[in-house]
Amino acid sequence: MTHIAWVPEEWVEAAEDVLAGLAERHPSRTIVLFPQSGTGGLEGEVSVESFTGGENRPVCTDTIRIRLHGTSAEHPGSVVEPLLIPDLPVFLRWRGVPGFGDSAFEELVDVVDRLIIDSTEWPDLPKPYADLATVFDRVAVSDIAWARTSRWRPMLASLWPSIANVSRIKVTGTLAQAHLLAGWLSSRLERSIELEHEHSDRLVGVELDGEPAPFPPGDSPLPADLLSDELDKLSRDPVYEAAVVAAVT
Amino acid sequence: MALAEEQHLENPLLAGLPLSRRPEPCALVIFGASGDLTKRKLFPALYSLAYRQLLPEKFAIVGVARTAETDDEFRERMKAAVQEFGRDDFRDDVWQGLADGMQYIGGDGNEDPVFDRVAETLTELDRERGTAGNRAYYLAVPPDAFETIVEGVGKRRSAEGWTRLIVEKPFGHDLASALELNDLVHRYFEESEIYRIDHYLGKETVQNMLALRFANGIFEPIWNRQFIDHIQITVAESIGIEGRASYYEKAGAIRDIFQNHLLQLVALTAMEPPIDFTSDSVRNEKVKVLKSMHTPGPKNVVRGQYGRGYVDGEEVPGYREEPGVDPNSMTETFVAGKLYVDNWRWADTPYYVRAGKRLARRETTIAIEFKRAPHPPFEELAAEGLRPNVLLINIQPDEGVSLAIGAKVPGQGLQIRTVHMDFLYGGAFRTDMPEAYERLVLDCMRGDSTLFTREDEVTEQWQLVDAIVATWRRDRPSFPNYAGGTWGPPSSDELLHRDGRTWRRH
Repeated sequence: MTHIAWVPEEWVEAAEDVLAGLAERHPSRTIVLFPQSGTGGLEGEVSVESFTGGENRPVCTDTIRIRLHGTSAEHPGSVVEPLLIPDLPVFLRWRGVPGFGDSAFEELVDVVDRLIIDSTEWPDLPKPYADLATVFDRVAVSDIAWARTSRWRPMLASLWPSIANVSRIKVTGTLAQAHLLAGWLSSRLERSIELEHEHSDRLVGVELDGEPAPFPPGDSPLPADLLSDELDKLSRDPVYEAAVVAAVT
Repeated sequence: MALAEEQHLENPLLAGLPLSRRPEPCALVIFGASGDLTKRKLFPALYSLAYRQLLPEKFAIVGVARTAETDDEFRERMKAAVQEFGRDDFRDDVWQGLADGMQYIGGDGNEDPVFDRVAETLTELDRERGTAGNRAYYLAVPPDAFETIVEGVGKRRSAEGWTRLIVEKPFGHDLASALELNDLVHRYFEESEIYRIDHYLGKETVQNMLALRFANGIFEPIWNRQFIDHIQITVAESIGIEGRASYYEKAGAIRDIFQNHLLQLVALTAMEPPIDFTSDSVRNEKVKVLKSMHTPGPKNVVRGQYGRGYVDGEEVPGYREEPGVDPNSMTETFVAGKLYVDNWRWADTPYYVRAGKRLARRETTIAIEFKRAPHPPFEELAAEGLRPNVLLINIQPDEGVSLAIGAKVPGQGLQIRTVHMDFLYGGAFRTDMPEAYERLVLDCMRGDSTLFTREDEVTEQWQLVDAIVATWRRDRPSFPNYAGGTWGPPSSDELLHRDGRTWRRH
C-alpha cells in the first residue's frame, strides 16, 4: 500500500515516532510530506529499509520524505501521484486539523482511498466535525480518537438493554473521545444525549446518568498499533460517520 | 442463526462492532495430557489464544493421562512446553491466567473411577470457575483408547450446557472400523457435537485456497477441464517416522496422509462454490467431490518405502532399520496416485497426488497446470522455453501463491522464458500466521465445525482407501524402492510419464 503522511512543522516529532513502529507491521511505501514556507521547489530523500520477517523472509519498506515549498505545498497532488504504487490502496494520515477547502487538502483527498485523522489533535471541538462530515462522501475516514474508544464501545453495548434509557453521559478523557462517544450513543439510540466532559489525556472513565460504567478489559493500545489497525480497514465506517454527525447536531 | 448474530440485530449499539471471537465459558478436558500432541501443539496453541485474549473469560483445563502427576507438576511441565514450543513471548501474567484454571487427573483410562473423578472435577469447576456445564473433550490418544473414553464420557454427560468431542486422526483404520467408531460415538453424541480434526484444514494457506477461488473473479471461470491440463498435489516430508513406529507400521502413508490431508486438499481444489460459508454448505460441497472420485485402477496408484539415503547431507537409515519397525516390513512410506473427479467440471482431468516421508524436502503444494497456449506464433527455437502456466499454491513452507507465466527475454530476437509472479504471505501481511490448532480449538469452543471433517466425508475417504489397499494385497513390491532424500520410487515418475507429463520441477 501507499501511505501518505501530511506533517506540518509542529507535528514532525510525533509523526516520526509513529512511523518508526509502523514499518514492521505494514510492508508499504510511505510518503511523508512536510509543507514548509519558502519560495518554491522540492527537497526529497528516499530511504529503503529491509528487515527479516517471520521465517527469515526479507521484508522491504521504502520511505520518501519530501519538503514542499511554495506552490508545491499548495498542490501536493501532482507531487505524490507519480509515486503511488499502482492498484494498491492509498492512505492519507493528516496531522492536525485538515485545511478543509484548501487546495492541498482537496487535492490529496482526491488521490487517496482513506483519510486518517486524529481529532484529539483538533482545537475547538466539536465545530470541525461539521467540516469533516462534508468529506464523508468523497473518502473513507478513520479517526484515531474513535479507535481509542474501541475497547469501551463493546463494553457499553453489553449494558443493553438498560443503557437504552440513559439520558446523560459523562466522559473522563479527551474532548474528542467525549464528543464521539456521546455522538455514538445518541446516533445509535436515535435521541439526544446530554454530555458532560472531564479532561484527561486518556479515556479513563464513563458515567451513565451518574453511575460509573465498568472498566473494559484489556490494555489500551499503542499509537502505532492504532494507526496500523486503521490501515487494515478499507471501507467506510457508517457508525463513526453517524457519531460525528450527531456530535455537531 | 447464531445467538451472537441475533443479539446484533436487536442491540443498536452493536452495529459496526466486530462480533466477538471469544467463546462462551467452558472447560476443556484433554485425554492424553502427557502425550506429545498436548505438549507440542495443544498447550502452545492454548497459550497463544490466552495471549490474544481469545479464550473464554471463564475457562478451565483438565488434563487426564495415565502418568501419576500432581496439578503443580502438570502445570510446570506444560509451562516448559509452552516456553519451548510456543510462538509468542512467554509472559508470566498470561501463563498464570491459564495455569490457575488447570487441573490434572492421573489414572488408567480404562477404569470407571477416572471418569467419575473427571465428572466430579468438572462439576466443581462449574461452581468455582463458572464454566456453566459446557465441556469440550479433546481425545489426544491413540485410536485403541477411543472406545473407553467415548463411553466413559458419554455416560456422564453434564445436564446443562453443551458437550463437544474433538477427535484426532486417524478416525478408524478402514471403512468398517470407521463406521463402527461412528456408531459408537453416535450412541452418546450427536454428529453436530463431534469435531474430527484434520489439522490441515486449520492452516491459513488451506483456507486461503477458498479465498483465492471464491473471492477472485479471474480464477473461477478457468477452474475447469477446459483450461486446466492437470493438477499436482504434493505432501512431502523430509523427516522419517520419528519414533512413531508402532503407529506408522499399521497406518502407512495411505492412512497417515492420503486418507485425510491429501483427499481434503483434492476436495478443496475441486469443490463447487458453496452457497455460503456455514459449516454444512462447505462440507456438502466437499463431500460431493469425494463421492464423485472414482477408484483408481491398480496401475494408477503406486507405493514406495524408503531405504538408506541422505537428507541435508547426513546419512539417514532406511525405514526397515528404524527402531520398532519390522525388518521385513511391507508398510509404504510413499504413495502416489492418479485420481479423477467424475463430474461436469473435472471429467478427464487427472489429479496427480503424492505423499511420502524422507523425500527431498518438506513441501506441501497444490500446482494447477493450465493447458498450453494453442498456437504460439513464435519461431520454434524461441518457443522452446515456453512452459505451460502453473498456478502454484504453497501450503507450507513459504506460504503463498505463485503464477508462472512466459515472458520475453530482453534483447534482440524473441526468446521466451518462464517467470513467476509471487505473492508471499510474509511479504504482504505482517501479522504472524496462527498455528492450525489455535484456529481449530477456538472454532470448536465457538461451535463452528466448518473446518472439521464430517461423518460422510470420512466414510467416502475410507471407501477410496479401502479399494486401493485391496488391490495392493495382490502384489508384493520389492521394498525399499527409493533412497531417503529423493522424490520417491521410479514408478511414481512413470505414473506421469505414461501420460506424457512429469512431476513439477522443484
